[in-house]
Amino acid sequence: MSGAGRCREARRPTLEWLVVRRLAVLLCVALTLAVASSVPVAQGPSPAPITIVSPQGRRSLTVTTVNGGDYLSLDDVAAALGLTLRDDRVTGTTTVAAGGRTAVLTPERNVVSAQGRLVSLAAPPLRQDGRLVVTPEFVTRVVGVLLERRVDFRRAGRLFVIGDLRVPRVVVRGEFAASAAQITFDIAPAAEPTVTRAGSELVVTFAADAVDAAVPTVPANPLLQSIRPGEGASLVLATGPRFQSHRASVQPIDAGTTRLVIDLVAAGADTLTPGAPAAPAPPPPPAAGADPGPAPSLPPPGGVRTVVIDPGHGGEANGTEGPGGTLEKTVTLQVSRRLKTLLEGRLGLRVILTREDDRTLDQDERAAIANNNRADLFVSIHANAAVRPTVKGAEVYYLSVDRASLESRRAIQQPDALPQLGGGTRAIELILWETAQLRHLEQSATFAALVESALRGKVEMSPRPVQQAPFRVLVGANMPAVLVEVGYLSHPEEEKTLTSAAHQDKVALAVFEAISAFRGRLEKPAQ
Amino acid sequence: MTPRRVATLVATCALVVGLGWLMFSFLERRLSAPTPDAEPAAPAAETPAAVGPHISAILYFVSEDGTLLEPRAVDVPLRDSPAAQARALVEAQLAATPPDALIRAVPEGVAVRGVFLTGRDDAYVDLDGTFVSALPGGSHNELMATYAIVSVLTTNLTPVTRVQILIDGREVETLTGHVDLREPLRKNEGLIRVP
Repeated sequence: MSGAGRCREARRPTLEWLVVRRLAVLLCVALTLAVASSVPVAQGPSPAPITIVSPQGRRSLTVTTVNGGDYLSLDDVAAALGLTLRDDRVTGTTTVAAGGRTAVLTPERNVVSAQGRLVSLAAPPLRQDGRLVVTPEFVTRVVGVLLERRVDFRRAGRLFVIGDLRVPRVVVRGEFAASAAQITFDIAPAAEPTVTRAGSELVVTFAADAVDAAVPTVPANPLLQSIRPGEGASLVLATGPRFQSHRASVQPIDAGTTRLVIDLVAAGADTLTPGAPAAPAPPPPPAAGADPGPAPSLPPPGGVRTVVIDPGHGGEANGTEGPGGTLEKTVTLQVSRRLKTLLEGRLGLRVILTREDDRTLDQDERAAIANNNRADLFVSIHANAAVRPTVKGAEVYYLSVDRASLESRRAIQQPDALPQLGGGTRAIELILWETAQLRHLEQSATFAALVESALRGKVEMSPRPVQQAPFRVLVGANMPAVLVEVGYLSHPEEEKTLTSAAHQDKVALAVFEAISAFRGRLEKPAQ
Repeated sequence: MTPRRVATLVATCALVVGLGWLMFSFLERRLSAPTPDAEPAAPAAETPAAVGPHISAILYFVSEDGTLLEPRAVDVPLRDSPAAQARALVEAQLAATPPDALIRAVPEGVAVRGVFLTGRDDAYVDLDGTFVSALPGGSHNELMATYAIVSVLTTNLTPVTRVQILIDGREVETLTGHVDLREPLRKNEGLIRVP
């Protein structure tokens, strides 16, 4: 005990020792802070890798996050693309070479010399743990020069695409309810998709070299757990516990886009009748006892979620032509695009144009696009003409139906019954194409009145502003549908007006307001 | 011959004449209803001008304000069968010079290939392609031209209630992309100005 006490007494620090020790601690802290401030800070969890897709194959690159941005090891990039690196310790530069072409970079400096031309980068190459790291921008703008090939960076899919490869952009959307879900893939440029079932997964494979896919986060639901990139040009849908079957359909949206729609059906839920135009019905209610999960982010049942706008005519069908040479097909497309922008931007609706460019479409295709997309509204945009050039003003039409034909069609539109496995029958509703619009006539009339009312405040109306006519394009639409004649191109003054952006904006705004009002009526609880 | 026998004889004669008239009418209708593949039953009318017997028929033109069809009485040659009369009416509608300040509802230079009647009170009017190619487009023009043809038959030939327009012998979906022509159309009173 006394020995220990002596020992402590013998080690008691002197005043000088205390001062030296405190100075040493301060020095260590200062050095640590200095080093820390000079080295970029790595942040957060490891980011997803970036894949290089080239005619030679695919290679995945590890990504490091530095100061909030994605960086790649220059060594990895060089190894993947066959580049050579040479450090010059005297000048502190690194030379990147490929096929006799060179680029010279200096760490921490934003300017790189590539084949004698200066390339300014948004973020400079850095030294990280003794290695040089560069941004994706460096690869596209500097390495592309060295390879003498086009290098694209697809940020959504985290892909470098080198050379002329087929890498379509795939935008994935989902609508989820308790007993049904619909996943939509818009593929541009068009690449044929195939859907195969592998155990509890659905694999969507695209006829392409790779896919640049923007995959949404799947909300909790009993039918689909996740969507993830698969091998090659594919996406994998991991289905949920209530998933029973699926149905896939593919249709062209415009000249460059294909749409794949996969309907996921829960065990015990009825499926829609294949081949019949789909009714814009709300999702079926959840089965008793089933966990419906969180409320889907869908508007209330019966509301307006999808609008199909049909720019009249197109391609070989010019429609009418004004005395000044204005073509109807041009005006209808311009107005339709403005309307689409308004609906998407202000109401967040899903809006589909039956044609995005100058192409020929037959009448049934137009209605088919609306039916297959389960549109809640169909608006066909046209411009009119009269033999008397003084006739002018906008008009709104909805379908007129021969009363005798109506009765006979109703008679053949009774629900039918199909036998089910295990006995019994199940009622199905066959919707004949020719009678699709009949069930929506009342709502079409209501919507037509709303369009007329909105137009009246903004543009000149015809003396007969709302009319019924047996217009072919409205017949097969299985949702409220109207045809809007935005004015008369045969009237010389109105022709000039119809080509002006300001007037087209007025027309588009009026139809937008009518759709907004119609949506409000549908979603308002019955009084 | 007793008065009773005379009355019986008169009644029998009246019955025979009545049955004969009914049979004649029935056979006339049947004989004037060829299939669409058949040749037209009646020869073409030379001109719409009434030379010889004629009827005062209602033809349709575009009204002065350009928005509606306006009915006007015009003399049309009388023909000896409903099918021939139907053809004469369509030819008159296509060829007639508009009176007053009215204008044509149908293109000029259109030839009638045939007019057929069926036992179901439908009429089929087969026009040549000029009816489409000479139409300047626009749903309004299409409505005016279509319903001028429909109305001239449904107004002037009582049994006819529906009319389908064929082009060059074939059924067409529309003329210029608007009016559904795949089925016979009824008269549209909403497009006709009330005199």
